[in-house]
Amino acid sequence: MIRSLPNALGALGVAFLLGFPLLYAGGNYDYVMHLWITAFFYAILASSWALLAGYGGQFSFGHMAFMALGAYSAGLLDNYVVLSSHATGTCTEIGLFGSWLVLVDPTGVSTSAVNCLQQARGVWPEGVTTSRLPLLLSILIGAGVGGGFGWLIGTLVLRLRAAYLALFTVGFSEILRAAISAEVWLTRGQAGLPMSPIFPEGVTIFGTFYASNAKLPVYYVMLGLFLLTLVILISLARSRIGLFLRALREDEDAAEALGVDTVKYKRTVFVVTAMIAATAGVVQGHYVGIITPNTLILLQMALVIAMAVIGGLENVVAAAVGAIIISFGLEFLRNDFIIFGERVDMSTWRLVFFGLLLMLTLRFLRNGVIHGGLLWLERRAVGAETVAKRRATPKSGTEEAK
Amino acid sequence: MEHSLFFWSVMGWMVVWGAIGGTVTRHAYFMRDLDVTDARRVGVAVGAATGPFGLIPLYFKTPKLTRLWKVAPWFGVLGLFVLAFALSDPGNVCVSSGSFLTSQIANGLIMGTIYGLMALGLALIFSIIGIVSFSHGEFYMIGGMVVYYVTAVLLPGWNPLLAVLMACALTFCVGALFERAFLTPIYDGRVERPIEYSILVTFGLAFFLQYLVQGLGGANPVKADAFIELPRWRWPADGSVIVTSRANITLFDTIFVSTPRLMAAVVSILALAALIWFLFRTWWGKALRAVAQDRQAAAVTGIDPRIMNMLAFGLGCMLAGLAGAVLVQAFSWLPQTGTIPALRSFVIIVLGGLGSLPGAFVGGILMGMIEAAGAGCIPDPTRAASYLPAYGMVVLTLVLLLKPTGLFGRKA
Repeated sequence: MIRSLPNALGALGVAFLLGFPLLYAGGNYDYVMHLWITAFFYAILASSWALLAGYGGQFSFGHMAFMALGAYSAGLLDNYVVLSSHATGTCTEIGLFGSWLVLVDPTGVSTSAVNCLQQARGVWPEGVTTSRLPLLLSILIGAGVGGGFGWLIGTLVLRLRAAYLALFTVGFSEILRAAISAEVWLTRGQAGLPMSPIFPEGVTIFGTFYASNAKLPVYYVMLGLFLLTLVILISLARSRIGLFLRALREDEDAAEALGVDTVKYKRTVFVVTAMIAATAGVVQGHYVGIITPNTLILLQMALVIAMAVIGGLENVVAAAVGAIIISFGLEFLRNDFIIFGERVDMSTWRLVFFGLLLMLTLRFLRNGVIHGGLLWLERRAVGAETVAKRRATPKSGTEEAK
Repeated sequence: MEHSLFFWSVMGWMVVWGAIGGTVTRHAYFMRDLDVTDARRVGVAVGAATGPFGLIPLYFKTPKLTRLWKVAPWFGVLGLFVLAFALSDPGNVCVSSGSFLTSQIANGLIMGTIYGLMALGLALIFSIIGIVSFSHGEFYMIGGMVVYYVTAVLLPGWNPLLAVLMACALTFCVGALFERAFLTPIYDGRVERPIEYSILVTFGLAFFLQYLVQGLGGANPVKADAFIELPRWRWPADGSVIVTSRANITLFDTIFVSTPRLMAAVVSILALAALIWFLFRTWWGKALRAVAQDRQAAAVTGIDPRIMNMLAFGLGCMLAGLAGAVLVQAFSWLPQTGTIPALRSFVIIVLGGLGSLPGAFVGGILMGMIEAAGAGCIPDPTRAASYLPAYGMVVLTLVLLLKPTGLFGRKA
């Protein structure tokens, strides 16, 4: 009975998450929904990082960089590629099935120059419609860009020792941040790249219309992505690839001697998790409405790592649950308080607290809090079963021993 | 850049022939049953430097790859690169002004000394404990913060060298305590995968320290005063050899050096001399080097490796703290300051060969020169400055592609 507790809790949790936005009737509806959406976003990142690090033993610090690559690819497409029903005549454009794929020239953040699309809008007749590329296409492109960079980095670094990957990915995300901040003409630098909402014209679900800024449809999109991620990660972990990964994590030389193409499997899992992170970035970017290079600072990556480690590195579901709990915890610890007449800036001190928690968890609870708890439950269940078996057949056991 | 097409086509030519040379030369040596360990690298260098003109004789002759073969083509590559740059951008200040060039070289050497000192700490930790510390940049930041708070807030008017000593003492103690509290499980097999554990736990420390400092001191940039203010002085009277002013020293009317950076380099060189004395002349230093060479044999002769681990981590952190402490007078300081120097130290120790102490110092000097060249010569100075971490990454990528063991590395 104890043994099936985690599965029962998991099913209950999924049911709760599916029904929550419909049943929740408390105050601050939008705020609470926003917290959940952010929590799912971090849960996607933390669980995919847990697969890479916990199962594959590949400690990459570039997960947020892949997320940002996805988000920026989608953001650039969103800003500079437009589907139009009428030719502009001024932009670079390609005719496609009666409509036009228009490449808008970037004008940057500080100039007030009119781009070619705005020029064309001035002379167009009435009734010309423009729209961005479909969301699914930009998700595919974003994931492709993230996966492509993952493949390149993996090819370069994964044949070397573990520390090289960590070193290289720290550098990669720092460069990406520098490049995004410096290329103001394209990415608008620190000002951030604006992105359109997930459903720009709103969406109708079961006869109810939701405006483009409504939280409920986004909640379900992010939840769907989160559950899909978990399904992909779990099936990957339970497949042959997962087995090879655990083998090469325990002893790379032994795995290689037994015929496992270690670099190939490491690269596969690296690319898959990079694509998942990039996809999460695309959706989150469209949801938040803006993407800035500050998503690449050390803090963001450290938060994802802290979530995965505190949840449990070797169990993707535990990492996801840890991420949800910590992202709520971060929000609730946000309020400043006054002690001995000094104002304590909790927005900084809560991070100190989580840094300490990360180190202590690593040192003393190496399976993490949630995965460790699950293992403890499992051990208790096995113990109870063994005791029950012994009690049922006490004599045969003692005779065999003689 | 005036003729950027010319420049990029030369670069493309070098990359293409480098790639062809690497593949073809290794193939040639492999087919003739010769030593292939260096064949690919030499092929890349010869291909990039001379194109088909050097590759064809190399392919047919397959000479024994002596040290000359391994080194000389790289100077050819460097020369071709510089020539292409000079021809394509004759108006660049780097090409047209000899004074600017010598100043940049002097600055590169000065900064390189400090980079080398900081990377030396990381290399020391790696050579003894076998881990890469991801909190190295935070110790650099703390070193600077201590000097700022001591000189500007707590004890104004005292000798700043005292503050530097205090920064060293604090970073040493924090490093040693952290090692005792969090790194001991990796020696006795209490964690299953020590390398990964050490990466994560030092990264956690970096995160913790960065926000601890931000919580204690706030997120605003601070800047310490220069350690010394030079009197105005010129010699001989027309100032043709040396002129000093408050912030600058001019040598021979051509080399301009900023005083705070020069002071930082002087302190670093003194510290380096002290470190060399410690490592080669004292029992403790010899014991450290013995542990780095062979842990078991050192333990047999009565050296306690646990104490040496603690000492090495503390010393490594202290060197980072020292680099920060001497540089805080030259740059403004934030809790996030450590990220880029940490990254640079990683690049340097990979370039020099993981765990090689002379490699770390030589790598530091090289890195200082590369950054000075990048920051000074790339057209569009604001962009050149914001891509500062990228130069190191280009170097890192090339090293990983061509020689993952680094310049002085022992084994893969």
